[in-house]
Amino acid sequence: MKQIGSFRKWSLILAVAAAFALAGANSLWAQTQPAAPAQPPAAVEQKPAEAKPKLVGSDLGLPAKLGVEIAKAPEGKGRGQIDPSAPRGVFGVPGAPQPSSILIFLWAVWVGWVFSTVGAFGGIMAGVGHMTVYGLGDYVRTFRDTAPGLNKTLTDSIRTSNQFLVGLSSIVSVINYLKSKRMSWPLGLALGAGSIVGAYLAASLTGGKVSFSQYQGWFGVFVLVVGFVLIYELTPKGQAGKKAAKAASQAFEKTVKEKADITSAGVTLKSFSITKSTMTFFGTDFSFSPIAAFFGGVVIAAISAFIGVGGGFLYVPYLTSIVGLPMFVVAGTSALAVLISMITSITTYINVAGAGMDWALVGTQLVGVFIGSMVGPRTAKYIPEKWLKLLFIVLALYVGIGYFSRGFFGRSWVPM
Amino acid sequence: MWYYLDPYLLALYGLTGAHALDGLIGTLLLSLVVVVIGEFTISLVFRVNRKHLDKLNSNLKKYSDLSQEALRRGDEASYKALNKQGNDAYGHVFFNRFGLSAAALWPIFFALDWMQPHFAETGIAVPFYPSGAHYVVVFLICYILARIVFGRVKRHLPYFKGQYRMLQSYGKEDSDSAPLKESHPRNPAD
Repeated sequence: MKQIGSFRKWSLILAVAAAFALAGANSLWAQTQPAAPAQPPAAVEQKPAEAKPKLVGSDLGLPAKLGVEIAKAPEGKGRGQIDPSAPRGVFGVPGAPQPSSILIFLWAVWVGWVFSTVGAFGGIMAGVGHMTVYGLGDYVRTFRDTAPGLNKTLTDSIRTSNQFLVGLSSIVSVINYLKSKRMSWPLGLALGAGSIVGAYLAASLTGGKVSFSQYQGWFGVFVLVVGFVLIYELTPKGQAGKKAAKAASQAFEKTVKEKADITSAGVTLKSFSITKSTMTFFGTDFSFSPIAAFFGGVVIAAISAFIGVGGGFLYVPYLTSIVGLPMFVVAGTSALAVLISMITSITTYINVAGAGMDWALVGTQLVGVFIGSMVGPRTAKYIPEKWLKLLFIVLALYVGIGYFSRGFFGRSWVPM
Repeated sequence: MWYYLDPYLLALYGLTGAHALDGLIGTLLLSLVVVVIGEFTISLVFRVNRKHLDKLNSNLKKYSDLSQEALRRGDEASYKALNKQGNDAYGHVFFNRFGLSAAALWPIFFALDWMQPHFAETGIAVPFYPSGAHYVVVFLICYILARIVFGRVKRHLPYFKGQYRMLQSYGKEDSDSAPLKESHPRNPAD
């Protein structure tokens, strides 16, 4: 039997993820502790009137937690205040930015273009749109000191909007793969159960607790990691790996003279236990550990839900490169895991953390995305792949450094 | 936009005069409109991008078939290489399907945007739940029903029957590559 479950690389990823989680938990813990008084108590007592600004006092018709936090925000026309008479902007909040439909649409066309040509980087661009291009980040940041609860609730709304946009891809994929029965159910169930736990934990534990600055900082870290992966792919070592795979594929293709030889044999489950499951595919036994798949699902779904991305770009390499399963099985199974993870985290953010949604914003973005994804294949062929990668490396480093520094250090190290 | 459409959409919610029935029928009709607009949009995407989608799908199918063949022959090195190539091909198909999802699903969010100010506070009265159920839940249930109904009747509708045939051919291609249709016995000696 061929044992394919080599988890050495995965344990390294788990260790890095655990370090991230610990660092994140530490910063959350620090955030939830009462802040040290900036002035001695006596000084505060001398100015009681300044300490209590007038609050909005009403939910202004806004649903759930968003309404509750709006009611607790200071009323006024200044920064970090809510003016109930101001025109309603994003998420229905009075005075919030009102990005024009044209801007939302055009940026979404760009996101769709990136999705159809470069792939997962489209999710990053969607996040950049919400945070920077539509001006939501700067607006949410103004509530950091005046209404921290509102700051965190709006941050959850941004995270949920990101995930809505990038997680929808899995719906159509899952339907197709279910029809063609390209799923490994034991693996899908183990991974899916882990995804539910990971997405629920990330959304419920961090929902309403992460300030916009923290979220932006972690998003920046994520973008930098993606940027370094892109850089690695351009290095001679990364290129050599790709070239070798391409050459081996072409060589094998040449040896297969008759297409009639290529037949499908299907996946059959041979044995199943919590620690080891074996399935047969083309007479070869593949073993995987359902418990390891479960924890893989927990980690990937937790990262995806926290950052507000789909997670397909993590599930697929995990299952093909680390677990070593055939692509035929991985495609459908990973799409199922993404869908389960997305539904869990979005419903948790909306129901448990009370994130508000701007449906028209998501709808306008989807129109732009599908137009962009139609335009992408027609235009990308005129740009060499290497130049495209270089462009996205520059973008990843720029956005990553900018968000990381702005989020964690309060000021951007690059113009933003 | 809603200013002009509001009277027509609200009219959908007053067809019988029975409070609990009106909520359900109105949302069902609204869902049906949403499904038809989504299906029409996705048909446009297929018409415009079919060549590209065909290329991506055949690329993925090629690597999928070849990796199975490598596995059948016990050629581990080729299998790994083909899996890696298939990984890249799958990435392209995955994110292009995102474009297709967006084409089919965008009207849902505009429908929810219209429903939010009308039903977020009160909910929608439906049979067995006259006090009002959450508008998103009612809409999603009605949307799934509308999709099932439309899926059954579209093959008879003038414009959509052509699209139905085209999608059927895609479904056939997909199931042609499905592993569970075992047409040759496995050879354990390989």
